[in-house]
Amino acid sequence: MPVSAPAVPALRAEHLSKRFSRTVAVDDLSLSVSPGEVFGFLGPNGAGKSTTIRMVLGLLRPSGGHVEVFGVPAHDVGRAHRHLAYVPADVALWPALTGRECLDLLAGVGPGTDLDYRAELVERFALDPDRRSRTYSTGNRQKVALVAAFATRAPLLVLDEPTSGLDPLMEREFRRCVTEAADRGQTVFLSSHQLAEVEAVCARVGILRQGRLVEVAGLRELRRLRRSEISVTLATPVAAGAGLAGVDGVADLQWRSPVELTMTLAGPPAPVLRALAGLDVVALDVREPSLEELFLDFYGDGDHRTTRGELRA
Amino acid sequence: MTAGTAPAPTTSAAGRAPEPGAAGRVVTALAVRSVRRGAVLVTVVAAGMPALVAVQHRQLDQELAGASLAALAENPAIRTLFGPPVALDDPGGFTVWRTGTAIAVLVGVWAALAATRVTRGEEEAGRWDLLLAGRLRFPAVLLRHLVVLLGAAALVGVGTAAGLVLAGTAATGAVLFGALIGGTGMVGAALGALAAQLLAERRAAAGLAVGVLLAGLLTRMVADGVPALGWLHWLSPFGLLGRSAPFAADRVLPLVVLAGTVAVLVAVAATVAARRDVGSGPWRRPGAVRPGTRELRSLPALAARHTGRPVVGWGAAVFAYFLLIGLLATTMTDFLTENPRFAELAAQAGFAELGTVRGYVASLFTVLAVPVGGFVASRVAATAADEVAGRLTLLYSLPVRRVRWLATELTGVAAGAVLLAGAAGLATWLGATWVGADLSAGAALAGVLNVLPIVAVCLGAAVAALAWAPAAVLPLGVLPAAGGYLLLVLADTLAWPGWVRGLSPFAHVGAVPAEQVDVPGLVGLLVVAAALTAAGLAGYRRRDLRG
Repeated sequence: MPVSAPAVPALRAEHLSKRFSRTVAVDDLSLSVSPGEVFGFLGPNGAGKSTTIRMVLGLLRPSGGHVEVFGVPAHDVGRAHRHLAYVPADVALWPALTGRECLDLLAGVGPGTDLDYRAELVERFALDPDRRSRTYSTGNRQKVALVAAFATRAPLLVLDEPTSGLDPLMEREFRRCVTEAADRGQTVFLSSHQLAEVEAVCARVGILRQGRLVEVAGLRELRRLRRSEISVTLATPVAAGAGLAGVDGVADLQWRSPVELTMTLAGPPAPVLRALAGLDVVALDVREPSLEELFLDFYGDGDHRTTRGELRA
Repeated sequence: MTAGTAPAPTTSAAGRAPEPGAAGRVVTALAVRSVRRGAVLVTVVAAGMPALVAVQHRQLDQELAGASLAALAENPAIRTLFGPPVALDDPGGFTVWRTGTAIAVLVGVWAALAATRVTRGEEEAGRWDLLLAGRLRFPAVLLRHLVVLLGAAALVGVGTAAGLVLAGTAATGAVLFGALIGGTGMVGAALGALAAQLLAERRAAAGLAVGVLLAGLLTRMVADGVPALGWLHWLSPFGLLGRSAPFAADRVLPLVVLAGTVAVLVAVAATVAARRDVGSGPWRRPGAVRPGTRELRSLPALAARHTGRPVVGWGAAVFAYFLLIGLLATTMTDFLTENPRFAELAAQAGFAELGTVRGYVASLFTVLAVPVGGFVASRVAATAADEVAGRLTLLYSLPVRRVRWLATELTGVAAGAVLLAGAAGLATWLGATWVGADLSAGAALAGVLNVLPIVAVCLGAAVAALAWAPAAVLPLGVLPAAGGYLLLVLADTLAWPGWVRGLSPFAHVGAVPAEQVDVPGLVGLLVVAAALTAAGLAGYRRRDLRG
C-alpha cells in the first residue's frame, strides 16, 4: 500500500467477486492503485485477470463487492469511462472499417485525444491506417488499440496483455509509451505475461492466483521478501563453516570448492557482510531474484508453494 | 477441434501409421456437429407442417370449407405467393399448393445460410487454419462439409416425404414432393458453398446466395403470371416444383433438372476452391482504401455505416419483388374479372374488393412484414454477433452506455425498415402505374406503412432476445412476422378458433388500402412492441457482456 494514499485512488476494488454458474473466477479481491502509479497485474492463464478488468470496465457485473475508477462506480460507464482508455488482449475491429476510421471513431466518442501525438504514434508503431481492419494481423489490430489508448489524455490506462502480438521492436516502443504516459502523470494498469516488460515499467505488482490476489507489493519489496543469492570467491581456502552458518538470514550454504561458496539470504545483508569481512574475499556477487523466479515461486508447483519468508525445499 | 487428426506423419506411438481416412472422418464429424441442430429443426418443420396440413385437410368438412378454400385459392395474392392451385381436392395436392413454396423457401434459405456459415464463416474466423494445418487439403475440407450439407438437405426431404406418407397421402406424390424439397435445399447449399468460394466475407456470400434463391422465386412468379414466359419455370427450383406438380401430374423430369443444377454448382464451387488462396476469394474487395474518403467520428455515423449496405441489399430485393407485384396487378385482377364466380365466392368468404387492384396489393403488402421483420431481426442478430466477436469491447470501454449504443443502432435499423417499406410502396406504385392499374401513390404508401407495427413487434422481440436469449436473436426476432403469417394462413385455411388466430400480429392489421386502417389493432401492436423493446433494453443494460 502506498505510504500516503491520496484521497481518490485511480482504481479501487473492494471485496470484488465474480462467479460464473459453478466456477469462481474472481474471489474477494481488494486492490487500490494510486494516481500516477504504473501497476503490474500478474497471473497465469485463467487466474481471473481479464475477468477483473472486464468488471473494472463495467462489461461484467460483479457478483459481490464493488469497483471504482477515480471514485466513480464502474457500472456508471458514462462517467467512469471519461477517466480511462483500454486496450483489450484480443482486439476485434469491424472488418470493413479501416484503421483510420477506427481511430477516428474512438477519438470522436472517447475521453479526448491528442491528435498530434496520435499521428506521431501511428508513425512510431509503423501502422498503415488506410487498410481495412479485415486485412490486419493480430499485431496490427493491437497497434490500432494501443495508438488510440496512448493518444488519449485519460488519467487511467487499462492494458490487458497489450503486447502479446507485437514484435520486439514494437514492444520497445510500447515500453517507451508507458514511460511517457507515466511522465505525464497517467496511471497505468498493466496486465501481462511478459515478466520482463512488467519488471521494466512497473513499480508495484499484484499477483493473482485462482481468482485470489495473493500478493500486492512494490517490486523491491517483493524481492526483499524473497532470498537473494550470494556467491563468494575467496583467495585462500578457509576452515569449513567459516562462521557463516549461524549468521542471521543465511541458508543453503554450499561449498562448491574450497574457495567458492554460495548461499541464500533473507533480510538485511549487514550481518553476512560483517562475517565475510574477516575472510579474504576476491569476488562477491549478490543476485536479486528476477520477477520470473518470483512468479515461478508463486505458481511453480501449486502444492509446494512457498509462502512469505519460507524457503523452497 | 483438431483432436485426433494427424498424430504424426511417420508412425504413431503404437508403431502403426495412422489410418488414411481418419483425418477426413474427423472433419466430417466436425461438419456434422456444425449443422445438426439446424438440420433437425428444419426437418421437424418441413416434416410437421405439410403433415399437419394434410391431416387437417382430411378432417375438414369439404362442403363447408370448399367455397372459402376456392376463394382463397383464387385470391391473386395467394396465387402469386403459392402458385396456381392443382388438385385442391386431394389432401396431398392441397398441402403442396399450400405449404410447398413456403417450405421450399425455408429449406433453401436455411441451407444457403448454413453453407456459408460452416464454410466461409469458419474460414473467415481463422478456424480452418487449424484444420488445414492437418493432412487434408483445402478442397477436400470444403467437399466434406458440402457433402454433409447436401446430406442434411436430403434428410429434410426424407422427413417431408415421411411426414406426408404417415399423414396418409399418396406415396408417389409424397416421395416426389420430398425429393423436390430436399433438392431445393441442396441447390441452396451448393449456391451457398459457391458464393462462399467467390466472396471473401461470409455476410456478402450469404447475401449473394440468398439473393440468387429469391431471384428464383421472382422468376417463378413471372412464369406463373405471364403465360408467354412460362418456360422460365425451368430456371428456378421453385418453378420446377410447380412444373413437377406432385399429387397431380407427378412429373419426374423437373427433379432430374434439379439434380443436374446441384451437380453443376458443386463442380464450379470445387473448381474455384482448388484455384484460390485460403482466406481469399476472386471477388474480394481491395484491402487498401484511399485515405480520407469518408468521416467516421460518431455513434450515429457508425450505426449508419452498419445499416447502409444491408438496407441497399434488402431494398434491392424488396424493390424487385414489389415492382413485379405491381406489374402483375392487372394480370391477376383480369383473371378474377373474367371469372366472376370466384369473385362471388370470395366476397361470400369475406374478402371484399378481392378483384380490385387495391384488394390485391393490400394482401401482398401484408406479406411485406415478413422480409422487413427478417431485416430488423438480422440486424439485431448482427449486434449480438458483434458482441460475441468482441467488437463491442472497445466501444463499451469509451464513455458509451450500452443503452445509448443499442438505441443508436436500433434507430438506424428502424429507419432502414421504414426505407424498405417505402421502397416496396414505391415499386408497387411504379409497376401498377406502368401497366395502367388503378393505384394511387398515397394508397400504396398507406398500405406499406400499415404493416410497420408488425415489424416493430419483430424489433421488440429481437431486442428482448438480445437481453435474455442472445444466441437466438434471429429466430425469435423473425417469429412474430414469419410465424405469425404462417399461423394466420393455417388458421384461416383450417378454420382454427379465433383466439389462436388472434395470436398472430397479422390478425390485428387491416388490409390497407382495400380496407380502413385498424387503429386499435395498430395501437395494440405498438404497445406490445414498446413493452418488449423497453424490457429488452433494461435487460441488456444489466447483463454481463459476452465475448
